[in-house]
Amino acid sequence: MSERRRGKLIAVAAGLLFAAPLAVLVLQAFADSWRAPAILPQVLGWRGFEVAFGSGDAGEALANSILVALAVTAISLAVGWPAARVLGRRRLPRNGLVFLLIAVPLLMPPYLAGFGLTEWFIRLGIDSTLLGLILAHVTFALPYAILILLSGFGRELESLEEMASTAGASPGRRLRWVTVPTMRPTLAAAGLLSFLVSFSQYGSSLAVGAGRPTLPIVMLPFVQTDSQVAAALALVFLAPCVIALFVSARLQRSPL
Amino acid sequence: MSSTLEIHDLVVAPPGLAPVLRGVDLRVEAGQRAALVGPSGAGKTTLLRAVAGLESPAAGAIILGGVSQTELPAHRRRVAMVFQEPRLLPNLSVADNVALPLRAGGVGRARRREIARERLGEVGLGGFAERRVAGLSGGEQQRVALARALCADPELLLLDEPLAALDPNRREALRRMIVETQRERGLTTLVVTHDRSEAAELGESVALMLEGRIVQHGDPREMFERPASGAAARFFGISNLLRLPDAAAGDLWAIRPERVVLGDGPFRGLVVEAVYRGTYVRLILDWAGQRVEAFAAPGEAPGVGDEARFELPGEHLWRLPKGSSPRVGSVERR
Repeated sequence: MSERRRGKLIAVAAGLLFAAPLAVLVLQAFADSWRAPAILPQVLGWRGFEVAFGSGDAGEALANSILVALAVTAISLAVGWPAARVLGRRRLPRNGLVFLLIAVPLLMPPYLAGFGLTEWFIRLGIDSTLLGLILAHVTFALPYAILILLSGFGRELESLEEMASTAGASPGRRLRWVTVPTMRPTLAAAGLLSFLVSFSQYGSSLAVGAGRPTLPIVMLPFVQTDSQVAAALALVFLAPCVIALFVSARLQRSPL
Repeated sequence: MSSTLEIHDLVVAPPGLAPVLRGVDLRVEAGQRAALVGPSGAGKTTLLRAVAGLESPAAGAIILGGVSQTELPAHRRRVAMVFQEPRLLPNLSVADNVALPLRAGGVGRARRREIARERLGEVGLGGFAERRVAGLSGGEQQRVALARALCADPELLLLDEPLAALDPNRREALRRMIVETQRERGLTTLVVTHDRSEAAELGESVALMLEGRIVQHGDPREMFERPASGAAARFFGISNLLRLPDAAAGDLWAIRPERVVLGDGPFRGLVVEAVYRGTYVRLILDWAGQRVEAFAAPGEAPGVGDEARFELPGEHLWRLPKGSSPRVGSVERR
């Protein structure tokens, strides 16, 4: 089999793997009536979305989720950038230990980490606030952001920055002309992952965000009680992720 | 405009490590081209980086045209540098790469493209302005880097092994281009190389760096014929450091192997090694316990075990300064 055909086959297989559950989800979301053994729904309609946005707090949850995820992305990139820069130079005493400490939240079940954070947030007066949610999510998104950004900060970037300095570029211009363009694909990937980690966060949101619904929190109860509403919410859930993926892909194109 | 470079007692020591530069003194006159040569690890690149502002010295001074550069950040120094690798920005066209120093200097877009094209013409890349850098060969990329350095209109040009990554043919062409460009512009230039022949060709003067210090700085011929120490002699390929029968005891004399005249002469040695090297035969003679290296034409070379007569012409013998060579013994015993 030629390289090309094999590539096509893999692409088709991957597409099917992604499309099969998605197709069911779409059908289910619009199936006002769908009884086995029928292959297709008997009645199509908007009931799933009406229930989700009518009686449920899906609207507020969607807004919360997007807002929190955007804030988490911004904070993770802003904090992760200098952290990755310092870690990447390997000049810190105990570089490995620092990195391990940053990654510790990933080793804990999110609900437990969130539970621990709640105790602190209550004392700080930010429990059940969006700020609390954002900080809890940052705990999980930041290690990923640092890990990805680290891959971009290396000898090659440093050598280009040195060149720019000797060419007379001030630190600000060096950042604009060399560092950011070189780091753009890495930034896009780190941003996407931060967004998705926050957007799909369930355990820590459950522990920290009492009274502040996010999409996963609203969706999960429906999985057991009303699969049509759950499917409708899943589609709503998917949309911002696809947009984030698209934006990230655009930023990664024509890399250096 | 070009300026005199003065370096005084420069020390660079990375935190927690042994110093790389241990008190460097060097002076390159305005418009002169100096080659900095030495074995790898001697500190040549570090010295260049310190002059460019990429390393911060622990002590000492760097002065360009009478103005101290020591405290200036890299982007404020009137110094351009060509690195061992071209270091081009892959997202920009060739012309935009070349024009980078002009952009940093606030020159308008149209004017800077015009100048960039001129500089590209000077390095023989006239039609390359709109190309992407990715498609260029290594030699072309390095020429783009040279054009970029010239665009900065610097007072001092630093070149760090600019030929190291190129194949021999391209190296020759770029070497000629560097020399010609420097000469035309009268640009003060400091070029690093680890190759002594390249240093002789690239530098109007050659500075030898050993273990973080400049140990000798003079014209290329002087460096090859009149080394200041045993170590300097060895670096420039003078394997013969000899005690002469009728000279003062303790004096060491250096003579290049190609200056030893074989066939006739007052001295006799036993050939202990003869290696055919294509255009010549390299002979090692045992001369009453001293090791003498000499070159012979392939047809006329004696064989191992033969006795060879030789002469050490006085005009090519050079007495090493006293106390300069604790290592000579090891040369003899090698």
